[in-house]
Amino acid sequence: MNPVVYLHDGSFEGLLHAVSAAVKSQQKIHGIYAEQCYSPQIFDSLVQIQTDSQQALRLFEYLKNLKGAAARFAVNGFLSDDRKVGFHLYQMVRECLVHGAKATRLYTHDSIRYLDNLSHKVNVEAHRFTGLIRFRILEDGLQYAPFAPDCMVIGHCALHFKQRLKNRRWILHDIRRNHAMYWDGNVLQSIDIDDDFTNHVRQHGEIPESRLSVEERHYQQLWKVFHTAIANRDRNNLDLQRQFMPRRYWKYLVEMR
Amino acid sequence: MKIADKIQILADAAKYDASCSSSGSSRTSAPDGTGNAAMSGICHSWSADGRCISLLKILMSNACVYDCGYCINRRSNNLARATFTPEEIADLTINFYLRNYIEGLFLSSAVYASPDKTMADMVEVCRLLRQKYRFNGYIHLKVIPGAANDLVQQAGFLADRMSVNIELPSEASLKRLAPQKSKQGILAPMKQIGENFNGFKLERKKTRNAPHFCPAGQTTQMIVGASAESDLQILNLTENLYNKMSLKRVYYSAYIAVNDGPLLPAVSTAPPLVREHRLYQADWLLRFYKFQAHEILSPAFPNLDERLDPKAAWALRNFDLFPIDINRASYEELLRVPGIGITSARRIIKTRRVAAIREQDLKKIGMVFKRARFFITLNGKYLGDAGLSHQHIVSAMCKAEPPSSKKLQYNSRQLRLF
Ligand code: SF4
Repeated sequence: MNPVVYLHDGSFEGLLHAVSAAVKSQQKIHGIYAEQCYSPQIFDSLVQIQTDSQQALRLFEYLKNLKGAAARFAVNGFLSDDRKVGFHLYQMVRECLVHGAKATRLYTHDSIRYLDNLSHKVNVEAHRFTGLIRFRILEDGLQYAPFAPDCMVIGHCALHFKQRLKNRRWILHDIRRNHAMYWDGNVLQSIDIDDDFTNHVRQHGEIPESRLSVEERHYQQLWKVFHTAIANRDRNNLDLQRQFMPRRYWKYLVEMR
Repeated sequence: MKIADKIQILADAAKYDASCSSSGSSRTSAPDGTGNAAMSGICHSWSADGRCISLLKILMSNACVYDCGYCINRRSNNLARATFTPEEIADLTINFYLRNYIEGLFLSSAVYASPDKTMADMVEVCRLLRQKYRFNGYIHLKVIPGAANDLVQQAGFLADRMSVNIELPSEASLKRLAPQKSKQGILAPMKQIGENFNGFKLERKKTRNAPHFCPAGQTTQMIVGASAESDLQILNLTENLYNKMSLKRVYYSAYIAVNDGPLLPAVSTAPPLVREHRLYQADWLLRFYKFQAHEILSPAFPNLDERLDPKAAWALRNFDLFPIDINRASYEELLRVPGIGITSARRIIKTRRVAAIREQDLKKIGMVFKRARFFITLNGKYLGDAGLSHQHIVSAMCKAEPPSSKKLQYNSRQLRLF
């Protein structure tokens, strides 16, 4: 029999629906992918999932009721944007059906460890970006921060800044996924950013000159001076710096440009 | 003088300070204020030497009237001097904070004019930030030894964390190298902060609206290698500070020989970085691994072994306690095995509740097997090489040091060649 592969639309509901369908099918499952990151293999027999959020919700409720880490593994697994997460979630659900909630503590099970690592990766990146996000303050006081994380951490970050900068107006903009969130002092919402603006930021790592106030430049400059002055020149350790702050994050970091 | 030049001089002067932690405070943001302090500490950037930058760490001034032997800013040195106004620091802090460059402010200062004048200006920075800018982020303030009680008191209501530096590990060294400072001038504010910290914490348990006093507690710092104290003296002092003064952390800073002087190591002396590293590891054992100072060192062995981390050194000296069995040992016993940390010990306990651990699981659990294997058995089976002499195990453990320690050792050997 050909290996069976489930494909879904890439949404959280799609992913969960596909996992749930795969578990129910009793077939031998070869993989569960979002359509956009699946490259066809000649012998795969494909099952295309038409997302039904009821199915997804049912599985999610089951995972939440398990307590333990199951629901977190599902959410963070999705946020990690990892290609293979569907298959490992499928394995996890099968283990849970046998062992209950304690299955998510089986660090020696390959899929559980995989999901634990993914979940950790998402948490670490979300935490990292609460530090690495850099706001540019525009003339009218609006704060704008472009960034390009590996995982979908914009939600985590928005919740963080909603606490921290609750009396300011700001925009977080995930340039890689072109997804922006706007806090107006009261409500947090998704918004669309003008394409020209986005392209400029993506290309140059900075907002257009015309929007960059004198004051903004002044503080950016002072921050760079501080960043250089605080380093201990005879203890230079660029490898270590890069290990914590990988190059791929530098583009939107004022001090590294 | 331009602000950029002041930053250049006063950030440069502040970098010899070892502390860069901003954790331990959770200040929730007031409805109309800006900012909060995150409990776990957030790094905002990393400097070229690989250290985390989370605070605007800067001196108010480096124009010192004192003349401490070990300090680059002492009066008798000839260097560029600068002094910020309180308004300048407050403005920098709030503007960096809004842009998310920093988590808050770490303000220290040389003593200009007098201890009271210096301390009063530092308190003024805090007042501007908290009241004018309604800043709720993190503030760490260094207390100037000898400053008046009521200034320390005011500071305590504004700052998240305070520190009074011990500077040198004994009174005798203090007399010799920092004659204008006194043990009393250092211990008195430390005690005052400690008592108020505990007092207001109790108060807040009774009434919710009692004020915070230095909610993230206090820390201190000492310089290692400028004077002759042994590691045992340093660890004993550290343990006392944790137990008696309820300090949150003790920081060590390897002495960088910046000045010439008959009482000091020669200027060509390399900073004792390996020793500093080993002291931090020992400090870690005190704080998280339930070790006591007298277990780590003794009058017969008063100094830490530079080749080995203190836990491995302890385990090798107490080899008769090992091996212990991974499937049977308690959490506390597991913690004492070299190569097993808090995470892997917890994982072992958790996994064991579901299923016994097998040999192929050991690495997956995250322990450093090549370090742990000499000290463990698995269901009765010894995992080290049987019949290896103690001497061989010691050298195998030195070889199995983590790369970061090895690199430090290697670099310090290189430095000594010059
Ligand atoms: S008081 Fe502080 S800044 Fe002044 S010389 Fe002594 S250690 Fe240096």
